[in-house]
Amino acid sequence: MAPELAIGLPAAGSLCAAALRARPKAAFATAAVLGLGGVAAMTLSIPGRASAQLGISLAMSAESRSLLIAAAAALALVVALAPVLVERATLLAWGLAGLAGMAAIAAAPSLDLIILVVLALAVLQAASAGSRPFATRLRGPVFAVVVLALAAASARGDGPPILSRLAAVGLVAGLSAALGTMPYIHRFEPEERTATSPIPWMGFIGPVLALAVLARARDLVPSEGAVFGALMIGLGLLNMLWGSLASWRTEGGASAWHYSFMADWGLALCGLGLAVVDGQRAALLVLYGILLSRLPLYLWSRQSLREKRPNDRPINLLAAAMLAGSAPFAGFAARVLLLRGATQVYWPLALVIGLGLLLWLAPSLRLGRSLGLPRGRQAWGVGVALTLNVVIGLYPQPFLLLAGL
Amino acid sequence: MAAAFATWLGAFFIVLSEGRRGLALGLALTTIGFTVLVWIGGEQLAAGAVLLGGAVASIQRLRRGREGWGVMPPGSTSRLVLAIGAGLLALWISTSVMTGPGATLRFAVLTSLAMMGARALSDIQPAAVLTVVAALALSVAVASGMADTGPGPSPYFAAGLIALGVSAVRVSGSDGA
Repeated sequence: MAPELAIGLPAAGSLCAAALRARPKAAFATAAVLGLGGVAAMTLSIPGRASAQLGISLAMSAESRSLLIAAAAALALVVALAPVLVERATLLAWGLAGLAGMAAIAAAPSLDLIILVVLALAVLQAASAGSRPFATRLRGPVFAVVVLALAAASARGDGPPILSRLAAVGLVAGLSAALGTMPYIHRFEPEERTATSPIPWMGFIGPVLALAVLARARDLVPSEGAVFGALMIGLGLLNMLWGSLASWRTEGGASAWHYSFMADWGLALCGLGLAVVDGQRAALLVLYGILLSRLPLYLWSRQSLREKRPNDRPINLLAAAMLAGSAPFAGFAARVLLLRGATQVYWPLALVIGLGLLLWLAPSLRLGRSLGLPRGRQAWGVGVALTLNVVIGLYPQPFLLLAGL
Repeated sequence: MAAAFATWLGAFFIVLSEGRRGLALGLALTTIGFTVLVWIGGEQLAAGAVLLGGAVASIQRLRRGREGWGVMPPGSTSRLVLAIGAGLLALWISTSVMTGPGATLRFAVLTSLAMMGARALSDIQPAAVLTVVAALALSVAVASGMADTGPGPSPYFAAGLIALGVSAVRVSGSDGA
């Protein structure tokens, strides 16, 4: 029953928060209780064990479950230490809707159901008030849905071997379009609310979605593992290069953060593309970093970005070091594992990735400065995010064990 | 074969229409085509879910959006070419490139997915986007029927629910922003 509850309770919490909008305290309390119930169900679910209470077999993998727990922790962090101007009940309602969708994606038994959940989430996000036109907000996810569905259809059709190769290309392209990475960058408006912007696709839903799609994709076209790997690594390198350079050179501070997510996704895609355990571990640590550190720091930087108050205090330098993946933060462990994995597969690739890692320095300094001088809840939040990242960096093993790696 | 053709014709109307009647007709034809194909595949319950979701979405579409049919407004030549070209390409792939039984299902799915994707990428108003999303959800569910092992009714129910939900979406603002 755990997967059903992991989906149902956060969804109910989100609905309650939306229904009780006129009474923010009641909305917050109800949503928090139901959300905590959902997180408990996620934590208590046994990876790989299917449950069919609703007539559909639902099961979560250990990797997906670990990222779901990390996403829930990130949500709790940003809601508990939300910036002063942000309404917590609204943030919680959006976060729980996303969490319910992620749980559904993680537990879905087939790629088709994952695609349908993505479509539902996209419509839900696009239907709310935002600065981008409705059709523009749906364009990226709908394109992703179409490409993924066509790829799945190609994989299932009998015919020449080129069909399964096309399916592999389509599955990677569709995933990239859903995430909003290169070459399918979603249109980004710096002033738009985070919940309705493309950031949740990259920084919140994306990690679970990527793992779920790749797991189902490998089952669909088991003979095309090499094609998958090559495509993922190629896309990863492209995103590393483009994301880090654009994050450094772009004019807008919020856009720089958007590109920095893309650069991190480059690392994660490279790790997922390497068919060795170290690569998977590296990708998982990068995804933990995106969920638990980069996303919260982005939210806390928004006010400072609006007020244009960059700062060079030690806290900003620490945040920059964390974003750049220096020791002892999680990014460092991830980079070491990635280089080790790449060396096992093909050492020149490790050389290319190693050189690419230098590109993180300049944009990370810029992003660290953009946090301004954190005060009050924001300062606590930055402190917690940094501490969490150090803990994962120093002791990655328990977090990797949680994911079964 | 008639069901697959009805699906293509429905997608054709969705691609070429701007008015609520044209969009509703397109969605209704697509729904009928998919319902028959799923029914023939032996999934009666799933066919019911597709029919219910698509029918409600079509009726709701009649109530919102631009007045009239709006089929082939000025400047829609490229869309006309797209609709015919996508149909021919899907026909070739489903009958010649792909082999084995189920060519009609493959044609219906491929043509609908491709045309809905192309329509979503073009300059489009909110009512048309929502119609595209409803048709797309049904297409994804029906595409799951191409698997060797039956997907069960869950994708069809999910798609029906999405089509129902989409028909209830109110897009605020002049252009949906």
